[in-house]
Amino acid sequence: MNKIFYSILAVFVAVAAAMIFMATRSGTSSVYIPSQLLSEAGDKMRVRVGGRVAESDINYQVEPTIELNFSVRDPGAPNPQQKIIPVTYKGIKPDMFAAGRDVIIDGDFVGGVLVASKLQTQCPSKYEAPSVDKLYPKKQG
Amino acid sequence: MAEFGHFAQCLAWLIAVVCVLGGFYGAARGKLAWYQTTRAGTFLVFVASFCALGALAFAFVQDDYTNQYVWQHSNKEMAAAYKITAIWGGMDGSMLLWAALLSLAGALVAWRAPTYPQMLMRWVLPVVNSTSLFFLSVVVFLTNPFRYLKSEFIPPDGNGLNPLLQNPFMAIHPPMLYVGFTFLAVPCAFCIAALLAGRLTNEWIRLTRRWTLIGWAFLTTGIILGGHWAYIELGWGGFWAWDPVENASFLPWLTATAFLHSVMVQERKDMLKFWNIWLVVLTYGLTVFGTFLTRSGVVQSVHAFASTNVGWVFLLYLACLFVGTLALVLWRRKELASERKIESFLSREAAFLVNNLVLLSICFATLWGVMFPVLSEALTGAKQTVGIPFFNAVNVPLFLLLLFVMGVGPLIAWKRSTWASLQKMFLVPFSAAFLTGVVLVWAQVGSFWPILSYSLCVFVLMTILGEVHRGVRVQMAAQGQQSGVAGSVARLMRRHRVRYGGHLVHLGVVVVAFGITSSMAFKTEKEFSLGKGESSSIGRFTLTLEELGEAAEKNYDALRASVSLKENDKLLKTLHPELRLYRRNKETTTEVALRMGMREDVYVVLAGVDDSGKRGTFKLFINPFQVWLWFGAMIMLLGTVIVILPEMGLRSILLGEAEQSRA
Repeated sequence: MNKIFYSILAVFVAVAAAMIFMATRSGTSSVYIPSQLLSEAGDKMRVRVGGRVAESDINYQVEPTIELNFSVRDPGAPNPQQKIIPVTYKGIKPDMFAAGRDVIIDGDFVGGVLVASKLQTQCPSKYEAPSVDKLYPKKQG
Repeated sequence: MAEFGHFAQCLAWLIAVVCVLGGFYGAARGKLAWYQTTRAGTFLVFVASFCALGALAFAFVQDDYTNQYVWQHSNKEMAAAYKITAIWGGMDGSMLLWAALLSLAGALVAWRAPTYPQMLMRWVLPVVNSTSLFFLSVVVFLTNPFRYLKSEFIPPDGNGLNPLLQNPFMAIHPPMLYVGFTFLAVPCAFCIAALLAGRLTNEWIRLTRRWTLIGWAFLTTGIILGGHWAYIELGWGGFWAWDPVENASFLPWLTATAFLHSVMVQERKDMLKFWNIWLVVLTYGLTVFGTFLTRSGVVQSVHAFASTNVGWVFLLYLACLFVGTLALVLWRRKELASERKIESFLSREAAFLVNNLVLLSICFATLWGVMFPVLSEALTGAKQTVGIPFFNAVNVPLFLLLLFVMGVGPLIAWKRSTWASLQKMFLVPFSAAFLTGVVLVWAQVGSFWPILSYSLCVFVLMTILGEVHRGVRVQMAAQGQQSGVAGSVARLMRRHRVRYGGHLVHLGVVVVAFGITSSMAFKTEKEFSLGKGESSSIGRFTLTLEELGEAAEKNYDALRASVSLKENDKLLKTLHPELRLYRRNKETTTEVALRMGMREDVYVVLAGVDDSGKRGTFKLFINPFQVWLWFGAMIMLLGTVIVILPEMGLRSILLGEAEQSRA
């Protein structure tokens, strides 16, 4: 057996494992989709919500402070029954942000409002588009 | 054209099947005819794959919207160059590109085959072809880019490429990565072939040295270009966010870097044979894993490639790869056993081992972070995720340790080092680093981590300068004083090209580390609103809004601001940050305005305009020494090129010697 090889290896595995363990413990957030978040009552700190920007009321203002207010719903087709979650984000509207786009929101869920500290638009390499038929409605007759 | 392309890729697949089956049969039975057939077939796979790729490019240039993939990723307004680069704008085309590049690597290997030992090449060719075959199978059966659009009529215009991807850096970033991935597949193929053939000396490592280096250089370039693209395009002021798609390219880079170093231990000391086999297989496996990660939708990424159901194929392939390697290694374990041992902690072997372990720890931690949502859901039922703080908390200390080892490794002696020689080598660098630390603490520059990082940068810099100094002294002693310092450095570079090329790469890493540390630790940002003629100041800089107007461009409407940037009342540059609204999809993007400087970048984003249209709100980032990151990357590449190009250098060395003897 090669003592030096294995002792270096052992020290390393131990240190790396400890570092990963500590860093993991200090910084995880729970992942939800909007309906899941609503189904569990109460405020929640440090959440990540993956949802779709609802088709209604997107409000972006830059005065007096930069602020973006919108709502998210579950991804998929719009469902009028589904409750939406209001989101407030003090920051610049990210590129490609629009109604119907999927977003990833990191923040705190307080008093029924999702206060975002980070907002990312999913920018698919496959550039999603409505189906051909929707874009070019069939000619009648 | 679609028929031709589809036919070509099917033909490539068929020939690859023949090459793999025939090649393995020929190798196992020692049939030379099958080896020659496989070699010829490898060229044909390459020709057929590139015909398919050409057909797809042709379909893009011709705006052939009967093709579903073309319709999805292109439109008539796009510049011709971006129509070509749209080939790898999505899954189907990028898989075809990857398969084609693999077949190119295969053809290069087959072309060079006569210069390699034939007993090894008999196994290498079928193994190389089996990697091409896997990707061609994915292309032909799962992600065919030549599918017809399901529509009753031909749409008049295409859907268009994501505007964020219409950027020169993004256009060449994916091919760079793919070239890197495919070149790194070659050493892996040689390794597996060596296991199959039972030729377990250092032969396969020696033969693939240049492949590994070229692959590494392309991968490095690809990653840096991706970071640069994110920096100038995405508008959040940073270049790296530990997003799964970024990590996917970073993981194989880490193992490839580890491999580059550990093979030196095998070549010099005949140790770490198992280790190197696993590293090279892991590197190739991680390139495939990256594809699985970004294409399967198992983890949430901002770059959500369309979730396809092809992910499992990659997992299955990976499982086969690792089980197969494990079986081969067990089969050959007796031949792989090494008698040699690491004799001292204070030796280059030990330093290289630490370097490898640090790189693997970074790799594992990053993988852990990426896969954490999946792991936590599997173990606890609740999905959890880790963010940028996790990656920084683990990887920053590890990278700094790597920096330290980078200073120690190249200087410390093989086998065993004495305290006296350590003192001679490291007293000056260590003192300089310590002094830097003391001065920075005294000047209250930043916190613990950046100060440590700067001190380590100085440490490594001094070790490299020390090496060059010693080398130059030897050269000058040999030559007399006549040639001067510059001549001596040049001669040193020529004579010990690989060694000093390596030092140059390390110097580049130091510069990169300096840039990253500075921009991470001392980034400042500010938000402000300006009416026309109003100014805002930050540090030495004053920004004044000169003009705010609208402009209609070909496919978007723009809100464009002209902001003059002054340093102590001296005009530096007029910046033009923009907000664009693409008419087609009603999406907005920001165009960053950037003033790069040696001391800092001034990075301005137009956040929005108020209702009257007279006031603009801006976000400003000051990123100190950011530009050094890109410089450092260029130095790294220059160093790699110097190491790679020996034959070309040979001529100049011979000529140089001739001149010297005449003198």
